[in-house]
Order: sequence, then structure tokens, then C-alpha cells
Amino acid sequence: MATTSQPPLRFTTHHNLVYRLVLSTLTGHTVHISQIRSSSPTNPGLAPHEISFLRLLEAVTNGSQMEISYTGTILVYKPGLITGSATGVGASGGVITHELPSNCNRGLSYFLIPLCLLAPFSKAPLKVLFTGPGVITSSTPTGDMSVDSVRTAILPWYNQFGMFNNVELRILKRSNPGPNGRGGGGEVQFTFGHQIRLPKTLHLMNPGRIKRVRGVAYAVGVSGSNNARMIESARGILNPLSPDTYIFSDVSSAPLVSAPDKNNANAKKKIGLGFGLSLVAESSTGCLFSADVASPPSGGEAPEDIGKKCAFQLLETISKGGCVPPAAATTMLTLMTMGSEDVGRLQVGREVIADPNMIQLARDLAKFGAPGWGIRDAAGENEDGDVIVSVVGRGIGNVGRKVA
Amino acid sequence: MTGKRKRETAIVSRSTKTKETSPPPASDAQDIFRKYFEAQFEPIEDDVPSKRDAEESDSGDEDNFEDDDDISEPDSDWDGLSGESDEEHVVEVVEHKDASLGAKDLMDKKARKAFMSAKPPSSADEKKKTTKATKKDDSDDDANDAQNLKHDLDLQRLLRESHLLDSASELAPTGKNRLKALDLRMQDLGAKESLYKQKNMPDAFRQGIKAKAISRDEKRRREAKENGIILEKPSKIAKTDNKRRERGIGGSSIGKFSGGTLNLSKEDLHSMQSSRGRSSRGGRGGRGGRGGRGGRGGRGGKATRGRF
Repeated sequence: MATTSQPPLRFTTHHNLVYRLVLSTLTGHTVHISQIRSSSPTNPGLAPHEISFLRLLEAVTNGSQMEISYTGTILVYKPGLITGSATGVGASGGVITHELPSNCNRGLSYFLIPLCLLAPFSKAPLKVLFTGPGVITSSTPTGDMSVDSVRTAILPWYNQFGMFNNVELRILKRSNPGPNGRGGGGEVQFTFGHQIRLPKTLHLMNPGRIKRVRGVAYAVGVSGSNNARMIESARGILNPLSPDTYIFSDVSSAPLVSAPDKNNANAKKKIGLGFGLSLVAESSTGCLFSADVASPPSGGEAPEDIGKKCAFQLLETISKGGCVPPAAATTMLTLMTMGSEDVGRLQVGREVIADPNMIQLARDLAKFGAPGWGIRDAAGENEDGDVIVSVVGRGIGNVGRKVA
Repeated sequence: MTGKRKRETAIVSRSTKTKETSPPPASDAQDIFRKYFEAQFEPIEDDVPSKRDAEESDSGDEDNFEDDDDISEPDSDWDGLSGESDEEHVVEVVEHKDASLGAKDLMDKKARKAFMSAKPPSSADEKKKTTKATKKDDSDDDANDAQNLKHDLDLQRLLRESHLLDSASELAPTGKNRLKALDLRMQDLGAKESLYKQKNMPDAFRQGIKAKAISRDEKRRREAKENGIILEKPSKIAKTDNKRRERGIGGSSIGKFSGGTLNLSKEDLHSMQSSRGRSSRGGRGGRGGRGGRGGRGGRGGKATRGRF
């Protein structure tokens, strides 16, 4: 779909790489990204998770071309059509199986959240099964949220854009990060069956008040009492603030990944032991704020501390104000940009919009040809100093839908 | 696993003597002086009421107690076993109690299922709102339907109970007819018997009622016969035979068991004694109930044999 006459958009460094690739796929612009960790003497070039994301992009699109330089420091990506899991391209039986390598140190949400952005604009429903020795479903020290939070705090936002049918995120096997934060053995199936032409224009300017807190405490390969301890300490903090606080507990056994040695080629080992907590606060207007803390791969942290940290993190996220937390802001603003040629408005906290990632996103969007954001102070009694971001949609939407 | 309840630990110090009344200003000043003095020298052992002592010792950290005078009064009368006031030794009671909401806290499985499923959870309020809205729209239709149904029911009742209205002047049954109509409706709804059927009554009454019914029937038949009208055949009245009722398995075949005792009449005793010689031969039918010598036949046999 890319018009070949356009010169590629040039970017540098690995920052925001994933969103640049997503925007490139959505808008059809070729990108040229250079100086990817070129200054690193030990690990120059693309990291394993970035390569894995490129593979995923290749699987869900048709006709995309990517060239990676010898050192991996330069990437040229020419996007194709987002086909979803149409049979014959990359999918077997309507499901794309995506394997993550064992040296991946990012949580699965690193792949899931950008994939969610592509999914509404694909031609066919998207079904991806994430397997392999690198799937980490919990939150990670690298800053990725847990898959539970993606399901409970990111996917419900798509409702606001009119996408709600047949959206599923099924956690088949849980896994925390393995030793040194690398690898895991989880298994997650993601289905996005609601493809649309254009996302609805969003006007979200009332954050409301928190009415309930839900959460999932997970323990993988360790005692379920860790869950109880996390829940207790988290509720100790949250219950006086919000009586409607419930945290569900999920205990699962450790996943097995194959670890062949010279004596036994079929040997397997347990990986990804640990526990963690994912909390979601919902406001009266349906705004969702999430927090995620998991036990560090090195261990040595008590479940009570995890629970407490997570509760405080949730409170901090809420205190930033606005309708969307930083974790969902990227998704929201990108979808608004992809919407119809109309002005959508979104109230966000001052701190959220001042985040370096958000500013980077705004710059990238501008580079991809999106009109700039209008920012003004929110009206009414605005104690938190929230701002309203006005986003004009580009009206590109789903190219596959337009044709078919 | 459901969310664990939050356990709150409350530490409550129960002092025997806590009072939160501001002392009169004069004594307050005195107290200050006294405190100062005690700090300088040694505690004064005097006749100052122990109440004030307690106030001093406790005033610092126990502001949140509300005890009444009538609680502290009897305590001040009681001097304690040692004679030394034990106000200093405040018993600290640690109470572990669940601050959570009891039954509501146990999240039902439905909520868990809804939240932990593969679908992104949706807020339940939206559903509620939509159902409410749809109800409002239908409210007019519903009212109409309800009215129609009511009329229908009235008509049906009127048709069914019209025979009661022969004597009545108005359509809505009153008095006796109302009660009868009610009874009919109850039976319609599945009542086994009439509401007004008397269960217990003197035997003489019952006999009289039966006799009257029989005589009425007889009269009707006689008149019909005289007029050459053929009636239905009279229903057979089951004759109550005075035969011995079959007893349960394991029950005694002789005598009468009542009130936990087996009562044997003179005849029973006589029959036992007269048949003793042969009882070992297995003459009784009751013993081999299954052996072909069934209950009554066996007994009959025994009776005849008993004669000889």
C-alpha cells in the first residue's frame, strides 16, 4: 500500500522503535531507523525482543519488507497490508503461532499492546498464539505490565472506540521472568475479532471518581500463600479508600521448557517462578488505572512488600489525574489519531502528557504527517491541573476494509 | 481462591480507670504544682482521690475512651488486693478482628468468572443502565397488557362461578358466595380438598352425615325408578372386612403391640399354651413366610391343627 515515490522517514536510535514501526504500518510510510545502539560496544544493533517484534509484524502483514544492516544498527521497514491471521500467509488454522526466543527479557505486553493497535485495522480477525521459551506473562523489571493488566486495563479502552466484539486474551500458561530476567515459559492466546473501518471519535473529559478496585494476584510455581499475603497488604492500603476492592488469586504451576543436555535430549526445566500483583481501578466514568508489581527475578522480596508497592503504585497512577494513565495514553492517542477526520478530545494529567515517551510519540506522529495536538487547560474545577488534548483524526483507518 | 479478607488489628487498652472530663481549673493548677513537686522530690502519698492519679497517668495516651462515671465509681470503692492502686498496670488487650464485610466479602464465583475470563472485563453498570432504559420504553405496553390480563381473569372467574350467582343480586360474590368462590379458586389452583371440609368431628355427626347422604341417594334412585328414569349404577362401597390386617415384617404375629409392650390377651395365651407342643415342628406360617406357606393359609392350617 505504500506509495513508493515517498522517501523513507528517517529516525534514529532504538527509542520508541515499536511505536514507530506500528505507525509506519498504519500509515504506510517506509521508515529508515539508524544508529540502533550503535554506541554499545557489547550489544550493538537490534535486541532479541525487537527482532521478535519484527517477525511478528511480518506474520500479521502481507508484503512488508525489512532490511537489517549487518551490525543490526540500521533498519529499513517497508510496511505491507495488515492481513491478520488469514490462512496461507503465516497462519495455520487461522492462528498465527509466534515463538519468542529464550533470551527475551521483555514482558509479553511489549508485543501485545502494539499488536492491539494494529489489530482493529487488519483485514481478517487476528489470532495470535504466543509460545516459546521467552513468553513472560507477568510484569517485568524492564517496565512492562503484566498480561492481566493488558486484559483488564488496556483492552477495555477499545470499547470506547467501538471495538468490543470477540476480543479475547487468554492466558493458557503463566510465567514470571526466568533467571536474570530472561525467558519464561508462558502461553497466551490473543484474539481480536472486531475489525473496523474507522475508530469512533472520542470525547473523554470526565475522569470521574474511583468506584472500584479489582486485581489479580498470581503465583507461578510458588506457594499460593504468597498471593494471600500480597492481597492482604494491598487491601490493607486500598480498602479504607475504596471499600469495593477485590483481588482474585491465581495459582499455577511453573512452566516447563526444554533444556536439552548431553545426557538427556528431552530434559526439561522449570522456569519463571515468582509471584506478582496486578491492580486495576475503575472510575465512575469507566476510566481505568492500573498498577503492576512482580517479584524480582533475583527474589528476596516479601509478598507483603510487593502488595504494598503495587497499592501505592496504583494510588500514584490515580494521583496523576486525567482520564487515562500513562500506560494507556499511547494507545488512546494513537487510536484517536487514526480516527475519522474529526476532533477528538481527551483529558490527561499534566504529568502524563509531560512524560518523555508521550512527547516522543507526539513528535513521531507529527513526522508521520499527523496534525499536531492542541493542548489547553481543562475547564471546570481543575485541581490537578489536567489538560485537554485535542487530536484531529487522519481518517486513514483500515485500508484493508476500504478495498475489500 | 477468593480475595482474602483484610485483617485489622486493633489494640485496645482497657484501663480500669479512664475518664475524659476536664477537671476543675483550681485542681488543675494544684495538679501542676503537685507534678512539679513530685518531679523535684518524691511522690506524695496522700489522700488525693485515686481518680486524679489515674487521670495523670493516663491522660497522655488515652484520649479516646469514653467510660462513664458509674463504671469508674465502683472501681474507686474497691481498693484492690494489695492495697496499692493498680491504675498504672493497664491491661493491654489485642483484638484481632476482621474489618471486612463478611458474607459480601466472599466474592461469588460469578464475579470471579466474569473478571478472570479471557474477555476484557466490562463494567456491570452499563448493562444495568441499558436494561433500565429499555424497561422505561416498554412501560406503556406493559401497563396495557396488565390491564388486559386482569380483564381476562375476571371474565374467566365470572364464567366459572356463575352458578353461585343464581341467588345473588350482584356480580361480585359476597358473604357465603364469596367464601364458596374463594374455595373454588383454591381448588382450581391445586388445593386437594375444600377449604371448609371439616376434618375432625364427633363420630355421631359423621355417621349422621353419611346416613343422610345415603338416604338422599336412595330417595333419588327410588324416585327415578318410579318415574322410569335410568340412573347411573350405584358406586360400589368398599366393605370393610373385619379380617386381620397384614402386619409388617418382623412384627409379632400374636398379641397387640402398643406403647412399646406386647399385650397378650387371654385367648392369645391360651392358643400359645395349647400349641406349644407343636410349635417346634414349624406349624406357624409366620416363620416361613417365603417358603410357600404364606401368612393366612398357614394360620388357617394351624387353627385346624390346633384342634387336634
